[in-house]
Amino acid sequence: MTAAGEWGIWIVLYFWLAAMGGGAFLIALGLRDERAKRSGAFLAFLGIVIGALLLIVDLGQPARFWHLLVGFHPVSVMWLGSVVLALAGVGLFLLLVLREWPGWLVWATAILVLLVVGYTGVLLMATARPFWSASPLMPWIFLASAYTTGAALLVLLGNHEPQLRRVSLNFAVVEAILVAAHLIWVYPQATEAIRAMLTGELAWAFWGFAILGVALPVIMELQRRAEALAAVLVLLGGFLLRYFIVYAGQVGVLRF
Amino acid sequence: MANAKDYAILFDASHCTGCRACQVACKQWNDLPGEATENHGSYENPPSLSADTWLRMKFTEGVEGGEVFWDFTRDACMHCSSAACVESCPTAAVHYVEGGVVVVDQDWCIGCRNCVQACPYNAIHFDEGKGVVQKCTLCYDRVSNGLPPACVKACPTGALTTGTLAELEAAAQRRVAQLKAAGYPAANVYGLSEMGGTHVLYVLLKHPSTYGLPTGLATQRQKVTSGWLSAGIAAAVLGLAGTWWLSERREETGGDRS
Repeated sequence: MTAAGEWGIWIVLYFWLAAMGGGAFLIALGLRDERAKRSGAFLAFLGIVIGALLLIVDLGQPARFWHLLVGFHPVSVMWLGSVVLALAGVGLFLLLVLREWPGWLVWATAILVLLVVGYTGVLLMATARPFWSASPLMPWIFLASAYTTGAALLVLLGNHEPQLRRVSLNFAVVEAILVAAHLIWVYPQATEAIRAMLTGELAWAFWGFAILGVALPVIMELQRRAEALAAVLVLLGGFLLRYFIVYAGQVGVLRF
Repeated sequence: MANAKDYAILFDASHCTGCRACQVACKQWNDLPGEATENHGSYENPPSLSADTWLRMKFTEGVEGGEVFWDFTRDACMHCSSAACVESCPTAAVHYVEGGVVVVDQDWCIGCRNCVQACPYNAIHFDEGKGVVQKCTLCYDRVSNGLPPACVKACPTGALTTGTLAELEAAAQRRVAQLKAAGYPAANVYGLSEMGGTHVLYVLLKHPSTYGLPTGLATQRQKVTSGWLSAGIAAAVLGLAGTWWLSERREETGGDRS
């Protein structure tokens, strides 16, 4: 049972798309291949534009979304997130249209994209929901997952640099460890949410993430099989991760 | 920041009979519809606040040492001096007005529900019909015209009183001293320090946690600061790891992949 006006599927999809695109861009910046960098920028732009539209659709008053951009409220993580989202979109757009990338623009855009990927974890931490806020690990999990899914997305789109799969799976393992640490950490304050995840209404998403999104791709990588399928599973895992995190935070908030 | 002359409400649990006249008066004055609820084994109803219920009585009941206890607390917006809803609002639609009252500008709220997630008292709620959030206004329309809030006006036992913040703080302390002398050693005032101090104060007979009230709360600023700090460390650590893994040469990874 969750509350009226819960953060629901649009938010889950936004977290997933923006992190996947943003992660792909940040990972691609670490590659030597110029084309990979460009496709990374394109993926991040796509994720951010679609994500921003999802956020607007999710508002109770979508036509008032511009109220976000006419004030200055830096303590509000939601405000800061909206502003960096808009600025990151502008930066990526410039990168896409410019033939030569000025160094400062690449740096500025990379920092903005990193903020877009990272603020979501801070947003959840700065709430009264114990599942999100009782440990400081939400930003860690979201950042790790952004790199996991971002690298997998690049693999899926035909980048065969051998380090990419390693990066994706290393981060998948880090992410799984972080999730386990988070669950143990918040268990005393968020028992009901964790029960829902392990055995209750969110179990399908949690176990789907653990088995299909982490364990199976890691085994496939060790056996060096089905590269594309493993990448698809990693992306699915990124979605399921955000699904159970967003909903678990709101378990026990009454609706009647 | 709280001022001595701010509007305030004092709830004295030792005088409350749980009649819920306040709850009904709040609905009437604010034109709020009733709720369809199901019996969940308690006279407490509805089971939580909502966009249409801005004030309710919370019943804590059980058996302790063979004695039945049935305690009542007021459940509504506390009008915090350092309010999580105000500080989390990305548009300043939720804001303080003169007298320390926290209100929502219904024409400016975008319906993002960040305040709903941030409020430690679960006192602000999303109205799906209107697309904005709603909560207790401390009857700002009444108090700013010299009238007591509707809930206070309706209270038949004097459990709810109104006055300036300084007056009520003093009254609460006096009452607690009285109760302690009368054999309630755990009597205390709630709301003096929570979230920068609240404009609704409670006189309680037992520890706040026994009524389900949160204690040891961090302010929104503290939460946001530790959030960004954690994110900064995460970005550095994971960024370094990623750079390292990306730059590792193929030979070093021991792979024969091509």
